Amino acid sequence: MKIKYLLDEEEIPKKWYNVAADMPTPLKPPLNPGTLKPLTAQDMEAIFPKALIQQEMSTERWIDIPEEVREILKLWRPTPLYRAASLEKALKTPAKIYYKYEGVSPAGSHKPNTAIPQAYYNMKEGIERLATETGAGQWGSALSLATCLFGLQCTVYMVRSSFDSKPYRKSAMRVWGAECLSSPSDRTNFGRQIREKMPDTPGSLGIAISEAVEDAASHDNTNYSLGSVLNHVLLHQTIEGQELKKQFDMTEDYPDVMFGCCGGGSNFPGMVFPFIPDKLKDKKDLRMVACEPTACPTLTEGLFAYDYGDTAGMAPVIMMYTLGHDFIPPGIHAGGLRYHGDAPLLSNLVHDGLIEATALQQTEVFEAATLFARTEGIIPAPESAHAIKPAIDEALNCRKTGEEKVIFISLSGHGHFDLSSYDAYNDGKLVDYVYPAELVKQSLAKLPKP
Amino acid sequence: MAAGKGRIGFLVNPIAGMGGPVGLKGTDGLAEKAIAMGARPRAMERARACLDHLSREKDAIHFLTASGSMGESSLKECGLDYEVVYSPFPVTSSMDTIGTCQAFLDKGADLILFCGGDGTARDVAGIAGSTPILGIPAGVKMHSGVFAASPQAAADLAMRFLKKELNLRETEIVDVDEELYRAGILQTRLYLLAKTPYLPVLVSEKKRIYSSVQEDEFKDQIALFASEFMRDGSAYIIGAGTTTSRIADVLGIKKTLLGVDVVQDGRLLIRDASEEELLGLLDRVKSVKIILSPIGAQGFIIGRGSQQISAALLRRVGLDNLIIISTPHKLAEIPYLLVDTGDEDLDVALAGKRQVVTGYRIAQMKETLAASRLKAL
Repeated sequence: MKIKYLLDEEEIPKKWYNVAADMPTPLKPPLNPGTLKPLTAQDMEAIFPKALIQQEMSTERWIDIPEEVREILKLWRPTPLYRAASLEKALKTPAKIYYKYEGVSPAGSHKPNTAIPQAYYNMKEGIERLATETGAGQWGSALSLATCLFGLQCTVYMVRSSFDSKPYRKSAMRVWGAECLSSPSDRTNFGRQIREKMPDTPGSLGIAISEAVEDAASHDNTNYSLGSVLNHVLLHQTIEGQELKKQFDMTEDYPDVMFGCCGGGSNFPGMVFPFIPDKLKDKKDLRMVACEPTACPTLTEGLFAYDYGDTAGMAPVIMMYTLGHDFIPPGIHAGGLRYHGDAPLLSNLVHDGLIEATALQQTEVFEAATLFARTEGIIPAPESAHAIKPAIDEALNCRKTGEEKVIFISLSGHGHFDLSSYDAYNDGKLVDYVYPAELVKQSLAKLPKP
Repeated sequence: MAAGKGRIGFLVNPIAGMGGPVGLKGTDGLAEKAIAMGARPRAMERARACLDHLSREKDAIHFLTASGSMGESSLKECGLDYEVVYSPFPVTSSMDTIGTCQAFLDKGADLILFCGGDGTARDVAGIAGSTPILGIPAGVKMHSGVFAASPQAAADLAMRFLKKELNLRETEIVDVDEELYRAGILQTRLYLLAKTPYLPVLVSEKKRIYSSVQEDEFKDQIALFASEFMRDGSAYIIGAGTTTSRIADVLGIKKTLLGVDVVQDGRLLIRDASEEELLGLLDRVKSVKIILSPIGAQGFIIGRGSQQISAALLRRVGLDNLIIISTPHKLAEIPYLLVDTGDEDLDVALAGKRQVVTGYRIAQMKETLAASRLKAL
């Protein structure tokens, strides 16, 4: 049986695919957090380069990838598509399981796919430093790598719970020349406020975003960079799905169902968006399932509404699925999935019923990750493992029905920096969190309507 | 007496636990008032539940006891042989508890098995010295570390101790500090140390009152969330404890620490309610919900502390309307949530994974067990 499906370097896509061109319902505009009027290009110039603002607002279907960016992507792209033959055998399933592995990048995840172009465009427009946040440390590592390759400085606000549990992430960022701070930090006004109010907070992506935005907005030579949620991030990640389509052509299979983990949205939309036209135009019967933690079930339990992208209310107000910008998710081990909202592009497609979502408990996720490591060898990042668990369930269901479904797992990164989390799982120390959706609904029921 | 048998001094405080269902914080000195308010003797039932389990091993045990309601009648009802070593006064008091225990010691008891609450534990431990003691839980307050998780578990522990399968450990005898309590502070005071047979899970841990800064934050988060979801118009029966009382703080209501209060639409409806008042509430109000928090390190959500929340009340309110809250710290230290309503079918219906609110819009799932089904590991 053929295991690896590899593309040549020349087959790295030359354009990004912009799903906004094919959306059945157009996006509602992001709003200025101060005026609550639609955000203008000028509003964004304080923290983003012009080229990225153009991409953010574009509805062009195809956008060129600069050759300098493609040259660097060649360091690890195209990434391999694997047939999970050992896992299939262990599950005794008639289903075919495939996974595309983004952990082969130098930073260990899919995040450099957008970090590289973001650093590039900022460098081209004369910016000297980028400020950003990171949850699990994947994004912070990726941007540290990207800024170092383009000669920029980088400041990373890392969510405290991850900063403490993953010290080697910080070490890696340091090797790539970046400065990594525990968030809330004493570097920003907002960080200092939070530290005073909640000295023992585990931190959150929402807080870290507020810090990084404040840093960028208050320094002329500094811009802000975000590793998920925004339209241009999802655009850059479509390089994954385009490669995947070519690789599926090599297998002569076509997926029945695709699973990917989802925090704010980057790997999952990047992998599935290029398949959206198949579903819309060719009426392909394809399920795309975003996998999130029960502790932070934005797509499965959240409201589809305008909300702030960050905790302080400095980031744009966007139409998305949200648990509320004041919600600080519990300190689960998949730190990268602890975000109260979700990308507007993805939220819109979920709202239109083109994409589904499911939520998983962390112990079942680690159990699935362990089975994956013991069959396929790769130790997945806890975030990525959220996609493995439902894929295994689907394959086991095929064992019952006898269906030979083609199941796809988006394996966004490795878990080499997450081994303390695996230890916690093996020591029986993981806590399963749930979102008390009924009680939250009850608390919103009698709120005054604006 | 037969040689080679284990000697158990068996003692019942017949009035223990009577104050709880009528809203008193204990029964010491208040037995007559409790009876006048309609309380039924509870200790005898609990004692019998334990003896029923022990009767399977009756050939291995020589029971020493006091006459009448302080032990003899329970043993007789269960068809067990015994030796009366003390005769109490017609109206029993703590002097009789002490007198009985002295007689047990004189007769060489291996273990004192008593049925009562923290008050009884203080009296027994005060005289037991190095002789191990074990409590069958039957009081209103059971914060001391000598209580088994249920009458059945007490029987199990006693038997395994006599068979020399268990070690002894030193544990605290505590009771609520009445002076601080009257000042609105729930604090247990350490009175004595005692020896007790020990097996994790089967013996209740000494109730802990958490007060670290970090845990306070979680209490605030939980209380804030509760104040939001309590806006739904339902009447909320709020159980005892420091976590639940924080909700009252957020709502600006003065709550009793050890009692049960009822709140609706942010207003205090009934303060320090009795079981009867709570049942009466159900006739008047359409939607009633209950908020409870596990008691200290023991993990009991029902059956310790708030006896007003009875099996009858729970059945009428409906198990779906039971909301459990706890700080993550407290939850991490208890292996399970325990329920002991006195109604085994209801306990079993309450068992399983239950949602526990642990922060602002955050919850965990926690395994809940019927205390009567706890078996030795």
